[in-house]
Amino acid sequence: MLGGRRGVLALVAAVVGLGMIGVAVHAQQSAPQPQRAGRIAVSPGRSASAGASSPAAPYPTHPTPPKATPLGPSRPVHISIPAIDVSSRVFPLGKNPDGTLAVPQPGPRLNTVGWYKNSPTPGQLGPSILLGHVDSVQGPSVFFRLGDVHPDDKVIVRRRDHVTVVFTVNAVRDFKKAHFPSRLVYGGGDLSTPQLRLITCSDFVESIHHHIGNEVVFAHLTRVRRPHAR
Amino acid sequence: MEGHTVRKSLRTLIPLAAAAIPLALLPTAAHADSGTSYQTTLNPINGSGGSGMATVTVNGDQATVDLNYTGLATTFGGNPYPHVQHIHIGADGVCPTMGADKNGDGIVDTVEGQPSYGGIGTTLSTKGDTGPSAGTNIKVAPAGGSADYHRTFTLNSDTMNALQSGTGVIVVHGLDPSTLSKKAQNEKSNLVPSLPLAATAPALCGSLSSMPTGGVATGYGSTGGVEDLGLFAVGGGLAAGGAALFASRKRAASKAS
Repeated sequence: MLGGRRGVLALVAAVVGLGMIGVAVHAQQSAPQPQRAGRIAVSPGRSASAGASSPAAPYPTHPTPPKATPLGPSRPVHISIPAIDVSSRVFPLGKNPDGTLAVPQPGPRLNTVGWYKNSPTPGQLGPSILLGHVDSVQGPSVFFRLGDVHPDDKVIVRRRDHVTVVFTVNAVRDFKKAHFPSRLVYGGGDLSTPQLRLITCSDFVESIHHHIGNEVVFAHLTRVRRPHAR
Repeated sequence: MEGHTVRKSLRTLIPLAAAAIPLALLPTAAHADSGTSYQTTLNPINGSGGSGMATVTVNGDQATVDLNYTGLATTFGGNPYPHVQHIHIGADGVCPTMGADKNGDGIVDTVEGQPSYGGIGTTLSTKGDTGPSAGTNIKVAPAGGSADYHRTFTLNSDTMNALQSGTGVIVVHGLDPSTLSKKAQNEKSNLVPSLPLAATAPALCGSLSSMPTGGVATGYGSTGGVEDLGLFAVGGGLAAGGAALFASRKRAASKAS
């Protein structure tokens, strides 16, 4: 009798254990890996890389993208990317002492998007730099699904002056951090149009428990919505 | 048993750690770009309504400047408006606020702004001399309301030092006279007395800082590997233990019968 009860208990333990494994398997998640797509250059006949480092590589057949009038400065306060259900407040960030970009720190802003405060505000000429974590100590973070962003997706940024700027993705790239093209991403060489860069981590390597890549989404301004403009 | 698994995981970790060392060393050594880059946004002052961005990349004594802006005054006396532009050096390395308007004419003129951004270190001319003496030569200034400026030239050491110490400031000059107060409209430039104040007053200003380098640490790895290890461990233990116990009970029961 006692043995029978123990047997039932053992069976229950085994079933509960299997259930827990099932839950754990179901909870496994990994960020989508970005797929290289689109062209970085948004102005026809111009090289996207810095003029000093490489010969010009014009794209004579590249269609002229729709352009919107550049704006004056006003810092970004909110970003949404409907294609991947991102909606987040935006806060300014600086640089670390080693010259790399600072990232959102543990606390209430950890899973928000940061704007590099020495880069243009979204809508000004040149590349405005926005970044977010792919994951944090708490699990998936604000740019967890950035790898699912594709050319022609829209990125909508609201500025403090209540102007909403809409950017259209023109390229997605995955760079190894060890060979990160800083000037292409942060400077661009082509400052003639308002642009946007979205940056997060990619290429997680299990054995060293480290992301060795950065995904960069390149977008350009295509629409400006002013408050009360009908 | 436990000691054995620890030793085993150590054995697999050591070569992994060794493999990680070159990865850790690479980022500083293997940048795709050469030289040092500086950047700034060009924000309007004196109500110019313009906006832009500039980058300066220094390789040895050569500097490549890319500078774009839109929204400045387009014409001056029926001709394209010449906007002289410089890298100012030797002061605080910042752009002036309206508090710098000492004479109260509503305009921070070039001299009033000098405690903030200093004197001319380099003239961003379209051709020829790039020294301070070319600073007010409107014949080599970009003309019109917008500019797409790209030039590589030999950078003087004063400007080089200012960039390195974070005190280089790009200033683009030239306001639309009609936006000035009556008082300011009648004033002369304190740089070039033959020109009106509007011609040399600052219109865009930006403090140069070094461009970020390298990649961005935007991941912790919490979703990269196997999550909920605890759940796996406890679940696995329960399942295995329960199954083993159940099996042994069954065996004991069948032996007894």
